[in-house]
Amino acid sequence: MNDAMIRARGVKKTYTRAGETLTVLDGLDLEMEEGHFYALMGPSGSGKTTLLNLVGGLDAADEGELLVAGESLADLSGGELAAWRAANVGFVFQAFNLIPVLSAVENVELPLLLSPLNRAQRREHAMYALKLVGLEDRAKHRPQQLSGGQEQRVAIARAIATDPKLILADEPTGDLDRKSAEQVLDLLVRLNGELKKTILMVTHDPHAAERAQRVVHLDKGQLGRVETRAAAAT
Amino acid sequence: MISLKLVRRNLLKHKMRSALTIASLVVGIFLLCVLRSLVVAIESGVQGAKRDRLVVQSAVSLFVSLPLNYQAKMEEVPGVAKIVKWQWFGAYWQEPKNFFANFATDPDALFDVFPEIEIVEGSVEEWRKDRRGCIVGDKIAEEYHWKVGQTIPLISAIFPPPQGDTWEFTVSAIYRPKSTAIDRRTMFFQWEYFEKGVEPLYGESPGTGTYFLRLAPGADQNEVMRRIEAMYENGPQRVTCSTEAAFQMQFVTMMGNIPTLMMSIGTGVLIAIALACVNTMLMAFRDQAHDVGIMKALGFTDGGVAGYMLSQSLFLCLLGGLLGVALAKGSQPLLMMGPMGAMFPGYDVTNRTMVIAASLSAAIGLVAGFVPALAARRMRSVDALRSVE
Repeated sequence: MNDAMIRARGVKKTYTRAGETLTVLDGLDLEMEEGHFYALMGPSGSGKTTLLNLVGGLDAADEGELLVAGESLADLSGGELAAWRAANVGFVFQAFNLIPVLSAVENVELPLLLSPLNRAQRREHAMYALKLVGLEDRAKHRPQQLSGGQEQRVAIARAIATDPKLILADEPTGDLDRKSAEQVLDLLVRLNGELKKTILMVTHDPHAAERAQRVVHLDKGQLGRVETRAAAAT
Repeated sequence: MISLKLVRRNLLKHKMRSALTIASLVVGIFLLCVLRSLVVAIESGVQGAKRDRLVVQSAVSLFVSLPLNYQAKMEEVPGVAKIVKWQWFGAYWQEPKNFFANFATDPDALFDVFPEIEIVEGSVEEWRKDRRGCIVGDKIAEEYHWKVGQTIPLISAIFPPPQGDTWEFTVSAIYRPKSTAIDRRTMFFQWEYFEKGVEPLYGESPGTGTYFLRLAPGADQNEVMRRIEAMYENGPQRVTCSTEAAFQMQFVTMMGNIPTLMMSIGTGVLIAIALACVNTMLMAFRDQAHDVGIMKALGFTDGGVAGYMLSQSLFLCLLGGLLGVALAKGSQPLLMMGPMGAMFPGYDVTNRTMVIAASLSAAIGLVAGFVPALAARRMRSVDALRSVE
């Protein structure tokens, strides 16, 4: 369990807006071990979401080396990166990001379309993932027929449907009430504990961060302090 | 891989928008099929014309008759194998809207000069035996439910009948031509019946409007035409001898630039539909940009999401196009019952027209989906997700 799932060396990311160059990540060095639950904290603009996007291969670093799940992302072409993402990463977004015209089970099945599974197998996998998040009885419901907490649990089911090693969660409890937020955090802790998923969760909420094993602080694009907790509270 | 379910659901998400776009395609493709079929009908005579057939008509006008004794003299011209005369009769069945082409002719010579006329019901022998006999194209037989042996009274706007109000004919046979030089809505009847009926009124044998000549194998077409025209250069009635294609072309040119005009209208309609579809697909992309971002985050490739947008456009346009084709084909019997059937007897929404229309629908789908597909391909997932969050 001591292999690095994420290793960043001198990662730099800048954006140019209205002619002004903004450095979001400034030579970041970071290492995150496989099988751990990390919370990424920091003030707005500290580069949390940018780092999450880089780790997930949704964006590319300007400089530096980034290895995730054993792959140097800079070396992958667009198509290879998409395939790598499909196989290795599950995303959970603050706004859930479910496809509104698809039912819960169809949303969970969506990433499985990229797998070699046949239709029946896809449905079986999707139903299993929904069962894991306790929503098998809501399989036929459309996102607009679900509560925010249920939507986020469907999004988590979608994130684990392909059995990825890494789950990236961007403010997963940001749009939820306290009770739903607890359910989602419980779920993430379970996925880490029972299924050994590596989880990197961006959050502003110290209470949510408490559920992680390690809390990594970012400040002005650089690594701040790292807090280690004995075990995730379930 | 693209989820067809997702494609279908997204199209159904905006039912009114999709329905209106499909309706515009149905109307446009229907119109296009009709216009092309009309052009094909107008030009079918030219397309089906045979190289070994010539047509002789009055040099003054098609409406001026030629003497019957011209036939024997023309038969002596080297290179002429067979001759048949055709006289326009201008009759309709029961009421003027049931108008179709009908000609008085010689039964034996007709099949010598037009071997492509194939009898599918009844027999030529029956026709020869029956002075009032006639052969009719399968299309009019089908349209008016005529059967072999049935008596059909016709009213001619040009030649009043010798007695009563109508000319009576017996359907001796039904034909189906093997080329488009002869249309399927024509009737041919015995010259003898026509001559005997008309003679008392005019006090002499009627003339004929045209002679169709079949050339002997190896005959010099130009030389035959030159000699025939030269024979009657000084009268009594000057003639024009032309190829069958040139003869048919005069009917096309009589209509001026109508075929060109029709195809111009069709092209205009096509462009208008394509623009409407482009607009629909741009709106669809705007709605689904966020979904595209999600799909890319899940691992769908740039090409995959481009294909997803393109397939929506293709699905929409092909559905509308195929419905338009079906409407054009399905409405054909109805259109043929009206005045259009009389004006354009060769009107037929052919397989070729349907394939062209379906292909154009697909092409519109590709054009309409191109920009959204390109935009989806280029869109970065982070930008798509950020734009909504």
